[in-house]
This record gives sequence, C-alpha cells and structure tokens, in this order.
Amino acid sequence: MSTDRTPKYRQEIQQMMFVSGETAEASVETTTLIEEIVRQQVVEILARSTALATRRGVRSISTDDLIFLIRHDKAKVSRLKTFLSWKDVRKNVKDSDDKGGADAADFAGADDPLAGGVVAGPQDVASKPKNKRARVGLVWDVNSFYSVQVPEREDEEDEEEEEQNYATLQRLAAADERTKHMTKEEYVFWSECRQASFTYRKSKRFREWAGFGIVTESKPNDDIVDILGFLTFEIVQTLTEEALKVKEREDREKNRRGGAENGAGENTKKRKRETGLFDPPEEGRTPVEPKHIREAYRKLQATPNKNIAMLFHNGRVPTRMPLRLI
Amino acid sequence: MSLGHHHAWLPPGHLRPPDDHHDSRSLNGISKSFSGPRTPQMRASVDADGSHAGNLISEADIAAEEDPRMAIFRDLYRLSEAKVNTLFSDQKKAEDRVGAAVADADGAESRNERADQPAPPPPTAKKPARKLDDDDYDDYDDDDDGDAPSPPKPKPLTPSQDSGAALSLSRYTSGTTSAGGDASKETKKESLEDIRKKLEEDKKATEEAAKRSFHTLFYTLENDRDAMLDQQRLEESERQVEAEMSSQANAGNNATSATNGYGSLSNANLGASSLTLKNLIARIDMKRTMVQASDAELRSLMSEVRKNRSKWASEDKIGQEELYEAAEKVLSELKAMTEHSSAFLTRVNKRDAPDYYTIIKHPMDLGSMTKKLKALQYKSKQEFVDDLNLIWSNCFKYNTNPDHFLRKHALYMKKETEKLVPLIPEIVIRDRAEVEAEERRLQLAELDGAEESDDEPIMSSRGRKAPGKSSSKKGTAPTRNTPSGSEPPAGSSQPQAPVRADSDVPMDGAQNGFATPPPGGTQTPSDPAGVGAGVSGGHGDSMEIDGLGPSSNTITALSASGVEAEDSEYKVWKQVTKKDRALIAAERHRLFKGDKLNSDEPALLRTKAGMRRWLRSQRNASTEGDKALEPSTQAMESGPAGETLAEGIEVEEDKVIPDYYDVMSGVPDLPTQLLWREDSDGNIVDASEEFLRILPKGSFTQPDSKLSRKMDANMRQMQETRKICSKIGIVKQMQLQSQMYQNQFQKYQPEPFVEQDAPPHVLNDEGPVVSPWICKAALQRSVAKIFYHTGFEEYQPSALDAVTDIASDFFKKIGETFKSYIEAPKVPDTDSTESVSSATPWKKAHTEPEIVLHTLNSVGIGVEDIESYIKDDVERLGTKLSTAHDRLRSLLSELLRPALADGGEDGSHAFADGSEQFIGGDFAEDIDEDFFGFKELGLDKEFGLATLSVPLHLLQNRMYNAAQAQNTSATQAVTLFPPPPSYPRITSETLPSQIGLVQSFFGAKLQAGNSEGLVEDLELPPKQRPMAAKPRLPASGKIPPPSAPTGPTTSPQKRTLPPSATGPVSAIKLEPSEPSKKKLKKNSGGATEVSTEGDDATAALDTKTSDDPSSKEPTANDTTAEANTTKNGLDLPDISNSDSNAADLAKSSDSTVPLTNGTTGDAS
Repeated sequence: MSTDRTPKYRQEIQQMMFVSGETAEASVETTTLIEEIVRQQVVEILARSTALATRRGVRSISTDDLIFLIRHDKAKVSRLKTFLSWKDVRKNVKDSDDKGGADAADFAGADDPLAGGVVAGPQDVASKPKNKRARVGLVWDVNSFYSVQVPEREDEEDEEEEEQNYATLQRLAAADERTKHMTKEEYVFWSECRQASFTYRKSKRFREWAGFGIVTESKPNDDIVDILGFLTFEIVQTLTEEALKVKEREDREKNRRGGAENGAGENTKKRKRETGLFDPPEEGRTPVEPKHIREAYRKLQATPNKNIAMLFHNGRVPTRMPLRLI
Repeated sequence: MSLGHHHAWLPPGHLRPPDDHHDSRSLNGISKSFSGPRTPQMRASVDADGSHAGNLISEADIAAEEDPRMAIFRDLYRLSEAKVNTLFSDQKKAEDRVGAAVADADGAESRNERADQPAPPPPTAKKPARKLDDDDYDDYDDDDDGDAPSPPKPKPLTPSQDSGAALSLSRYTSGTTSAGGDASKETKKESLEDIRKKLEEDKKATEEAAKRSFHTLFYTLENDRDAMLDQQRLEESERQVEAEMSSQANAGNNATSATNGYGSLSNANLGASSLTLKNLIARIDMKRTMVQASDAELRSLMSEVRKNRSKWASEDKIGQEELYEAAEKVLSELKAMTEHSSAFLTRVNKRDAPDYYTIIKHPMDLGSMTKKLKALQYKSKQEFVDDLNLIWSNCFKYNTNPDHFLRKHALYMKKETEKLVPLIPEIVIRDRAEVEAEERRLQLAELDGAEESDDEPIMSSRGRKAPGKSSSKKGTAPTRNTPSGSEPPAGSSQPQAPVRADSDVPMDGAQNGFATPPPGGTQTPSDPAGVGAGVSGGHGDSMEIDGLGPSSNTITALSASGVEAEDSEYKVWKQVTKKDRALIAAERHRLFKGDKLNSDEPALLRTKAGMRRWLRSQRNASTEGDKALEPSTQAMESGPAGETLAEGIEVEEDKVIPDYYDVMSGVPDLPTQLLWREDSDGNIVDASEEFLRILPKGSFTQPDSKLSRKMDANMRQMQETRKICSKIGIVKQMQLQSQMYQNQFQKYQPEPFVEQDAPPHVLNDEGPVVSPWICKAALQRSVAKIFYHTGFEEYQPSALDAVTDIASDFFKKIGETFKSYIEAPKVPDTDSTESVSSATPWKKAHTEPEIVLHTLNSVGIGVEDIESYIKDDVERLGTKLSTAHDRLRSLLSELLRPALADGGEDGSHAFADGSEQFIGGDFAEDIDEDFFGFKELGLDKEFGLATLSVPLHLLQNRMYNAAQAQNTSATQAVTLFPPPPSYPRITSETLPSQIGLVQSFFGAKLQAGNSEGLVEDLELPPKQRPMAAKPRLPASGKIPPPSAPTGPTTSPQKRTLPPSATGPVSAIKLEPSEPSKKKLKKNSGGATEVSTEGDDATAALDTKTSDDPSSKEPTANDTTAEANTTKNGLDLPDISNSDSNAADLAKSSDSTVPLTNGTTGDAS
C-alpha cells in the first residue's frame, strides 16, 4: 500500500491550508507530510470503526461508528451532524428535484458543508416539512434510552445545537475576517479552495489512497466516504492551524532574540526591521515548513494527563500509546 | 556452676591441690577430698571432739573461735588503719567521726534500730549486740523479701544489705573494742567503713540520678557501637586471661583452684537459686515455731538445697572471697572504662614499643592483673593496689612526654583507681588454720568473749560480711609476715593447730554452739569432706545466700562510681549504661551479617524478666514524681505490687538502662477499653461500652447535594419515561393481539432508587470503616448509578465489576496524588519571615485549593471538565429527559385517545378537541339531530348518556372483543343474586369429600397433573377453555348439529393447572419478574412497599379478571362502573400513577363491561 508514495492530494491540501490560514505556498515536503499524516489518520479511523462495527456484529461501517470515534470532540461532532443533516436535506431536495420540485434553488447555499449550517436556515419549514433538516440522532443520545422512538416535535428549540455550533461560528467568523478585504478574484479563488476535498468527485482515488479494501473488508458507502472527506478536511485544517501557531511562536521568539543565536544571516534583515505603523501586512511571509507540521503533530498527539493517570501502573505508563485522532 | 558443686564432685582433683599455696595441705590424710586450707584445723577439731557429729563440732569451733578473732581484729585495725590513712588521708579528714559512726549505724539499722544504734556503748555491747542480732534476723528477712522481687531497684536494697554487713562488722568491732578498750581505733575503723559506704552511696546516688535522667532525657543509640566494640575488646582480653589461666591450670594439673569457679556464668545460676533460698529462709524464720526440726537440721537441709557459692569462696582462705570479690569488681570496673583503659588492658607489645621492657622492669596491665586475680595470687588489698598503681606509674615512667595521650589516660585511670580502691575491704587473706589458731590463742586470753560467741554464729549465718571481716581482721597480722601467696599457708597454720586444739576443748564444753546453730554446720552434709567445714564455710554460705543482691548492686554502684566526677549528664549516661548498651548492641549486631540481616540467626526474644523490669520502671517513672518515700519502703511497696507468680522464675538481670532502650522488652499499653478493671465489689467493669460507637448513618450513602439531587431526579425521570414507554409498547401490542393472559403484557413497575446504608454497625475506635467489601459495594453502587444515569438500564455484573475496579484504581491514584501533595515538605514562609524574624516559620508547600487543583491536573481532569460534566451530562440531560418524557407522554395519550381519553372511560369527554363529531357521529347534536336515533330509543335516558354519540369503546372492536370475551361471565353475573362461593379445588386432600363415583376419575386426573389440584374450566382464560365462550356460526351459515365432540367439550371440565394459569400463583410469580436493577438494590427500603403495592394491584387484577365468583365480586361489579370512572378519570391524565399499564387497561376493559352489556344487549 505504501509502495506508491507519490503525493496525490497536493493541490487539495494546499487549498485546504489556504483556507485554514496559510497564505504562502507550502512546499511539496510539507504537503506530502500532511498527506501522510492524513492518510495515517484515515487508516486508523477506518480500522477502528471497522473494529467497532465488528463488535456490534455488523460488517459494514456505519456513521455512528465514525461519530463514536470523535465523540469527545463535541464541536466536531456538532459540525459533522450539521454536515450530515444538510447532506440529508440536499438529498431530499435532489429527490424532489427529480420529481420536479422547484425548491432546489433555495438550498443551493447548503451545498457548502461548512457554511450551510449558518447561511441557510430552514426559513419556511412549515411549508416544506419534507425538506426540513433531519436531525442526526446519535445512538448514545437520550432518545435511544427508551424502547420507544421518541417522536420529533418541531416546535422545540434545539439550544444544544446552537451551543455546539459555537466553535463552527468562530471558525466562520475568522474566515469572514480573512475574506473581508478580498477582491472578487481572490474571493473566487478562496471559495474554490473551500471546496477542496479529498473525496468529492474523487472517491475512487480516495479509496485507493486510503487503502479501502485492505483496512476494511466491506465497501464503505457514500455516507462514510463523505464523512471521511469531512474529517480529512478537519484534520488538515487542525494541523495547519496548529502549525501556524507553532510557526508564529517560533517567529516571535526569533524576533525577540533578534536571531542572534541561530542563522544570523537569515534573520539580520528581520532584526533591523521594526514593526512600524506603515509596515505592509505580513502576507509575504515564509510558508509553513515540515518541522512546524511535525511539531504541531507532536502536540496533537500528546497523551492527555487523564490517559496517563488511567494507564499509570507500577510506576510507568505504557510506552506506546494508541494513535490519537486529530 | 557453683562452688557447692565443686565441693561435691571435685575430690579427685583435690587430691592434687595447686602447687602454689595449697599443695602442702593435701598431705593430710583425713581431708584428702577437702580442698580448703583448713584441713589441719579440722583434723584438730575432730581430734578434740572425738565422736561428735561434724555439725556439732564445727559449731563448737565457731563458738570458740569468736573471741580470738575479735582480738585479732584490733591488730587488723591498727594495720589497716595505717594503710588507709596513707591512701585516703584526705578523704578521711573530711569525715566527721562521730557522724560517721552514726551514719554507719543508720545504714545498718536503716529501718528499725535508729534509736538504738547511734551510740554503741563499747562496754555494754553484749546486750545490745544480742538484741541487734535478733533485729538483724529481721533485717535479713526483710532484705530478702525486698531483694527477691526487686533486683532492678538496687538502690533501696543495697544500703540495707550492706548495712547488714556493716552492722555485724560494727558489732564485732564494738565487741572487740569493748574488750580491748581501744575506742579510737574502732571509730577509725568505722570511719573507714563509712568512707566506703559513702562512696558507694554516692555512686548509687549518681546511678540513681542517671536512672532518673532516663526519664527526662532521651538517649539515642549512636554510641552503642563504640560501647560494643569496647566491650568486645574487654571481653577479648578477659578471654585471653582465662585461656592462659586454664592452660596454666592444666599444666599444673591442679584442679583445686577450680573451686574458685572460673566461669563467670555462675553468677546467673547462683543468683537464681540463692534468691529462692532467701525466700525460703525468710519463710522458715517466720514460721519458726511451727517447725519441729532443730536449727542445725534446718541448716543442713538448706545447705542441701543451696547450690551456689561465690567463685572466690574458699574454705581455707579466710577473707579471700571478700577481697577478691571487691578486687574483681574494681578491676572490671577499671577495665570497663574503655575510653581510657584500652591501652592498659593487655601487655605492652614489644613490637609497639621495642624499648619498653628495657625501661619498664616490672610490666603490669589490667589483663595480667586479672590473670593474677584468677590465679589467686593476691594475698591482700595492698598487693592488688600496688599492682594497679604499678600500671599507671609504668605508664608515666615510659611516656615521659607530659603531653602524651596515654598519660592522660593513665591519669584518669589513676584517679578512678583512687576512687575505687576504698571499696576494697582491707583484707589480708589468711589460712583458716592459722586464723583459728590465733583466735583460740586470743580467746584464751579473753574469757568474756564466750558470751559474744553466742551471737556470732547467728550473725555469721544471717549477717553478710561479718565473718569475713572478722576473719580478715584476724588474718591481718599473720599474712603480714607471709609472702604473698607463694608460701604455703600450711606452714603457718600447722604450728597453731595445737593451740587451737587446746582452745577447742573449753569451748565445746561451754556448749554455746548448740544454743545458736552456727552456719558451719550447714556446710557439712553437702560437703563430703566438710566434717570440719568451719566458720568460713558457713560464712561462705551466708555470702552466697546474699550473693546475688549485693553483687549485682555493687556492680552498678561501681559502674556509677567512675562517673561521679563527670559533670555532664550525658557522660554519666554513657558510663553507667555502657556495659548494658554494649550487650544489647552486641545482641543486635549478631543479627547482621555484613550489612544484611542474617536470616539464620535466631531471633531476639524478649524475656519475662525484661518485661517485668520494663513494667516496673514504667510504674516507677509514673510514681516518682509524687512519691518521695523512703527507698526501703518503696521497695517493699513496689515489690509485692509488681509481683506476679512468674516473678523469680527467670533470672532477673539488672540492667542500668532506660526502659525505652530495651525496646524488645517493652510492653505495649493496653488500650483503656481493654483494661481489666474491677469495681469495689469485685465485679468486672465493662469499659468497652464507652468506647463503642455506632457507625454514623449515611456513611455509605451518597451525601445529599445539589448534584446528587439532580441525578436522582434525572433517574426518576427516566424511570417514569420508561413506564410510559412500556405503556406505549403495550398499547401497540394490544392493537395487534388481544390480551389472553394476565401477564401477557409485562408491566413495567420500576421502584424508586433508595440507597441502602450499611446496617447498624458498632465500632470500637475512631476513624473510617476499613472494610473493603463494603466500600467496594458502595462504589459499585455509585458506578451503577452513574451507569443508569447515562442511560443503561441493566448491566452485567462483570461489566459493573470491571468498571468498579477501574474506578477504584483511578480513585486510588487520586488519593495517592493528594497524599503526596499534602505531605510535601514544608517550605520556609518567605512572607512572614520579614515580620517574625526569630522563629523561622514554615508553611505548607501548597494551600488546599492548590492541592486540589494540582491533583486534578495530574490526573487529567480540569475544573472545566467537571463543570461541563455537570452542565452537559447532568443538567442538560435533565432537560432532554423531561422533553423526551413529555413527548412520550403525549405520544401515549395520542395512542390512547381513541379509547381512553381524558373524558373518562366511556369516552364521553374524549372528543373535546372537536373531532368527536366525526367519530361519535354527534356532529348533528348541534342541530339537535338524533343521528343514531339514541334518543328515540331512549338510550340516553337509560344510560345517562351525555351526548348522543356512540360510546368510544364500541368503535374499538378488538379491544371490545377482548373485553367482551373476558367478561362474559361477569356480564352474566350481573344478577340479583350473588354467585355462590366457588367450589374448592379438587386436590388430593379434598378428593375424599367427593362422591365415590368420581373419586377414581379425579384421582386419575390428579395423578396426571402432578396432584397440584384441578382447575375449573371457568378459571381459565377464555381461549384456553375447551369451549368457546360464544358459539359461533360457521361460515356456511348452518348451525352444526350437536355432535359427539361438542358434547363433552361444552361441559366445563376439570383439568390440571396450566403453568401460566391464573390465580394466586401467578400473582406471586409477578414479583420476581421485576426489573433486574432491583437486584442491585436488594435491600432498598422501598422495595417491599412497592412490591406489596404491586401485589395489591395484581390481586385486584386477579379478582377482576378471573371468573372466580368470589364474595367480593358482586360489590366490585356493582360499583365498577362508577368507581372506575372516577378512578380512571383521575388516573389517566397523570400517567405516572403507580399502577401498571396492564392493570389500567385491564381495569378499563373490565369497567366497560356493564355498559357494554347494557348497550350491546339493547343495541343488538
């Protein structure tokens, strides 16, 4: 599986990184590294969810298995639920389109999995109950406590959802901030970049890349692949953001020390340049390097104290901890 | 190993006495086996007395000898005084003579005779002396009493014992001085004695002070190793000496000196047996009048009992025992000062100092002195002291440099020597024969001594050192002349034999010896050669008897003596306790091999004696503060008080160390509640009551808090919701199938959770209950609670166990982390140091919140996590649950609405929402149209219909059918007459009451049905009956002829009870089918309540649904319609009533019956 090491998602990753805040063009090494990390994560996700499914006595992975893996990241679960619900809406719309329904245009905005949750609210639910966002129930929710399916009631406010959308909103606000001053072309580019996906219209490539069939026996359905696409995007985004933070800290440190200690030749210019009032924006800064990615990855892989405390036995922690899903 | 034994079995060796000063005496034929130097003298006495028994002869001898001895005393005094003057002139000056005499007497008569003694009148000494003798007996007895139980407290005892010796001595001296009229000499002598006494008392005082300091100061073990090493060195040197000595003895082939008992071990045995002997003597003296035997007999008996003698005791050498005893102590004391004495312990090695022996012509060291001592080479104190001084002077001589360290040691040792030397009595060892001869000579001169001789044997038997002193005094003059030890004493004794023989005769005639049995007689039986065992033997005995007490005490006294001058308490401590500490340390040391414990080494065992000692010292320490009693009385008091039966069984070793030092012997304090206490009536006071406490309630339940209340509320909510769920399920099920059996539809009857506390439990100490299983059960319950709260309804025990273990492991880690943070070393408080300068304040490393936060962080839990748990997983869950509950409830009511709406069971109000017109068809009511024609038929009047709509239940065909089928008989039962009581079931018991025709038939049925009793067909659910309730018209429309098969089937048959049949059996069966979480709450308080409630419900259900025409039934049926209407009207809106869904439904269907009947009947 790893014989073919040629990067397959360089462009997508670059686009994702751009969306995540990396303005400079990342090197091939960086993207390759990210790609490898993402692949590792995807394989791990697949393996674990397959194990979960097996434990349930089912061969194929379900969305619940996937969500279960990321259940502790409530914000991500919430985003995923949003994504899934809109996906559902879209499907319904498509169905109704087939039947000649004319409402597809209303939900065009919902195509974007990220922006959709906010941009396109169900304005006129009453009139089109069919197209109402289906709530994605989780098996460990309250509704599953009972033997009887709890009936949905439309009039009830889902404040939980609202709260869990907070992180998503933050992210969107940041994106909004970045796009505020963009020209039209730039924004087009940006929105193109936002559509970058590992899976969208590339499901075959993705399957090969992620080693479907090797990791899992069954052939995951479209839903799973979509979720994986969503998750891979999240992974790249998280990595990039973390790496940017690392880089920023490094830069700050370098500036503070004036680069006196290391690489005097490289940083002499920077030292002289004081940040002034009329400095150009730091757009032309150096791209994220593999070392930043590595550091970010290391940080994301750090074992939380709780795990250490739980696994601490006989004065030591198991040396090898399972891979953490980003 | 004791001297007495030696006498018993040594004879072969005695044939060849040692070649130094004993050998010549072995020539005597009679006393071949006798070892002492007294042989000639004894023979003389035998000669003189002829056929007299040995006892009597020797007694007579003693009596006769007294006076000559006294005469000799005077000479002894003169000489010894001169010596003493030279040695202790300064000390003596300090003494007030008169006061000394008084003090002496005080010491002697410490208890009783204070008044008598201060002025011992020299001329009239006889009477008081006799009186004193009697008193002395008492003293002696007292001493024994006091001595036996309390060796560890030497202080109160020693003076009295020594006083006994001193007393007898003074008596002798008084006697002699009265005869000789030499008063000044006597006082001088007394003062000398007094010096010694003073010294000893001082030492004892020091020791006592040191002992007292045990209670005030806490000493550590740091010096033990040094002490041990020193002690080892000392022992090593002693071993060397002994080895050399024994080799000498072997070479010389003389075992006579073995009488002196080389083995130092003998002390222990000796002590033990003499202790018992003392008590025996005391006892005998108390009951003297009751004993038939003569004194002589008693004495001989006792001598048989007695086993031990001092190793120095010698029959032939008068004064040897006393001198050597003292000398040995001094020597060992000097050796024991290992700080200074180590250089003098052994001979100077030529390799160390090549020129030593050129400079020092007469080398001497403590080891050599020990050797000499053991070889009995010292004949007098002077020789001994000279040797001692020789050591120091040698040192000074060789080490001329004034700064030399050895000089300091020598100086110190010399000082110590000077301090110690007065303790050695001024004794010159003489041969007994010689002494006796002299005595006799003197006695001849002084005739009035005869009376005194009455006293003498008694004193010698009971008094301590009296004979020894006297003999030493007597012996002074002769031994002066004799060269020390090398000259055979026989030479001097032989010539005196005739004289003695002369003197013997008159004395025997005087018969004094019979009146007062002399101790010499006691010697005889035990000693094969003891025919002539004389006074000194007796003395030896008496010394033996006292042996233990004084010797041990003097040891301690001596050990204290060297310390007297030390100013530091610590030095005193070191000095006083050195030996014992060394012993203990050595014991400990033996347990180690290298740096590790030697597992092969036998364990250290505590001894009874040690524990007794420990207890006693504890008691003393407690009483010391308030009691300032006279030492002796204290001894008397504490003696019996601390006495147990075990007392004296083991050897009492006296150790001068604080009790806490001897950790092994420590006896833990009994907790006060366990003490055995008795009240005044002798009843045992049960103190345990006060210390028992009952485990406070709620120790094992969740404390009431906001969180716990919320969680409980959530769980309650879940239960309620589940109840609704089960009702919904039943409704849905009933839509598909009609109810056949009672328990066809399981009802869900959850009980409220009640946390069961641990049953009342009695504890007898403070602190938490440490019982892992209960704690684990409590944790398990908490885990289960959280599980339930998370949504699990049931759990497998193994899963619960696993999670409980994980949780306990995690909590243990939290606890450990907490502990390590709490126990973190304190850090200097920098803030307050500025304000308070002197005291360095310390503060804890972490404040309590810090500790909590640190701990939480290190286990990976943040405050936010906890908060979010409470917010999300508890509070939000609560709201979610309540919304789910609401939705489900509305779902249920929607489901039930057609049948059982809020309006009541007849459904008349069920259509209040406006839809009723369509269903019930009374949309025409508004226009007053009788759509169904009810009014026309008069049904509205008849049944009190509020509207003209069709009753709802008529529309629910299936339910109606079920109800109809069930209640056919009930409908029929609506008659004017109450149904007859049901027939009893036919069982094997009631079978005989049946008519004979059917009995066999029923019997067969019963046999087939396991004889559980036969069930009427009517008791069965309708579908199980052989006959359908309603005969139906077949599809063909023809009514089938009453053919053969229908005939028998139509009649109710009796059949065996099916397993799931109705009746009380099923009602009981309901209970175990309750939700499994009840198992977790086996003890929950609400369980019984709820289950009884459930039983009631089921019972009610039974009575209603079964066709059993019980006595209740009519009334129930009469009132059903009304009662149930109201009841259901109340119940249904509030679905959370405790009745089961099944019960509700059953009731509803049940209650519909009368109406149904009426309407259907009329309608059809």
